Amino acid sequence: MLEITSTPLVIMAILGTVGVLLPIISIVRKEKGSNSFYAVIAFAALIVSIGYVGYQFLNENVAPAALFSEDVIVDDAFGGLFAIAMLIVALFTTVGSFNYMRKHNSPAVYYSLILLATIGMVLVAYSTDLVMLFVAWELMSIPTYVLVGFIKKNPSSNEAALKYFLFGALSSAIIIYGISLAYGLTGSTNIGEVIQGYSTLDPSLLPLALLSVGMFIAGFGFKMGLVPFHQWLPDTYEGAPAPITALLAAATKKAGFAATIRIIVLGMVVLHLDWTLALGVIAVMTMTIGNIAAIMQKNLTRMLAYSSIAHAGYILIGLAVAPHSSLGLQGSLYHILNHAVMKGMAFIAIAGIVTTLAVTHIDKLQGLGRRMPITALALVISLFALAGVPPLAGFWSKLMLFGSALDAGSTLWWAPWLAIAGVLNSALSLAYYGWITRKMYFEGETQKRVKEPKAIIAVMITSMIFLIGFGIYPEPIMQFVEFATPVISSDLMP
Amino acid sequence: MSELIDFTLVSVALLGIGIYGLAVKRNFIRMLFAIEIIINAANLNLVAFGRFLPHSGGQTLALFSIAIAAAEVAVGLSLIIVAYRMYHNVDIADFRSLKG
Repeated sequence: MLEITSTPLVIMAILGTVGVLLPIISIVRKEKGSNSFYAVIAFAALIVSIGYVGYQFLNENVAPAALFSEDVIVDDAFGGLFAIAMLIVALFTTVGSFNYMRKHNSPAVYYSLILLATIGMVLVAYSTDLVMLFVAWELMSIPTYVLVGFIKKNPSSNEAALKYFLFGALSSAIIIYGISLAYGLTGSTNIGEVIQGYSTLDPSLLPLALLSVGMFIAGFGFKMGLVPFHQWLPDTYEGAPAPITALLAAATKKAGFAATIRIIVLGMVVLHLDWTLALGVIAVMTMTIGNIAAIMQKNLTRMLAYSSIAHAGYILIGLAVAPHSSLGLQGSLYHILNHAVMKGMAFIAIAGIVTTLAVTHIDKLQGLGRRMPITALALVISLFALAGVPPLAGFWSKLMLFGSALDAGSTLWWAPWLAIAGVLNSALSLAYYGWITRKMYFEGETQKRVKEPKAIIAVMITSMIFLIGFGIYPEPIMQFVEFATPVISSDLMP
Repeated sequence: MSELIDFTLVSVALLGIGIYGLAVKRNFIRMLFAIEIIINAANLNLVAFGRFLPHSGGQTLALFSIAIAAAEVAVGLSLIIVAYRMYHNVDIADFRSLKG
């Protein structure tokens, strides 16, 4: 039985109360503007939530990564890692929206939707029951549809929202169909019992079990942006309000990975099937197509959208080799945490550029290094961290991912090829990251420095400290990730 | 048990119709219908399986899923109303400002 002070329930109470109260306050106060008032409330709620997660970890009230539970949610370290990553991104988004939302109406609704979507993401990571997972998944998705289309007068924002909505609704329809099959086959919606039911399934029903796992991969794959399901992603990221892009790329994508690890990776181990090869092929396709498409882009947001597709591929390497190497999931979780900060930071930097200069075309970024020095420096650092340049934080997680692929090579002949593909793709990605850097620092005549938004600078400096600090001294994060990684073995039983 | 097969067959047929509709139609509202058909195929599955199991978890999940689908459709239709005010039509083939 879950205690009332357990992390997910407290986060839900804090963010839910504030999220519901914000629009009510705005109706009672009867004013349109005062963006800062609501931003500060949302910021405080998120800080308190992060503080509570940290407090629970420090007091050792958190169970080691459990994965299964009798209840619908479990307060374990695995969920805690995702909760921290998502709350950090939500914090970045809230702070990054501060200047952006000055120009737009109804800030109270905007911040309230960010908080509600954050509850959904956090609960996806904590849930151990398919019903809870589905409800949390929708709680995450529905507010983000509205947030993407938040700028009603802007056709591209609306178009982005329509595309995102169609694919998102299809993904939840496929997930609920997969859940219905899993429920019919095993007679339960608890993930532990479903996995146990799969392991004792009648062989004649095995194709249906495969179909249900395939539907989960497709459904979660839409949100993660894996390659056959990625078409909506660049359009949506480009058209969405710039801070919301950070929320989509860095947080909702991670919720997809949390759900995948809870269901598919374990299902894969129990069903004794060669899902690893399928996931490996998807991983290589995802990163290659993502990086090649990114090189051809002329728009910075779109380029980073494709790069975020590529990163889903890197993370998937760890999931694919998870049954054969203990490092696999650890590397994936580490990269998920790092990628949340790196991508969040990169997209908030873009939000800063959009807010002050209103450009996203790469040719127009010339001389940005002098016009907005702090934002440009932070963007460069996040790009190099994404490419995996030492000594930034992204290097260690990529090292661990590729190392896990090599480690699995002893039992899986094709696993080292995943590492090779990953390294080649990282080199490829450095090409276009380097190109952006060249445009910003070495081209264009000297222009006057413009005033950078203070809120954006705060985000940039915080995340730069994270990336450089944990790049030079990665020990604490590595230990934390190791604590949060579930142990997978083939005799796994709930 | 033979009744269960009937329900499942209907559900699979509905899934097929839904996917066909999504692949062929280019009208946003029709595509929304197609997605709803897939969700209802899943609901039919859940209720039918729940009927043959000793507990009512399936029916409960079906109720949740109906409520959530309603919320989703509300958001989708409001998005399409905003789009209709700008484009005066709901054909997704016309929404092509984003590409690259």
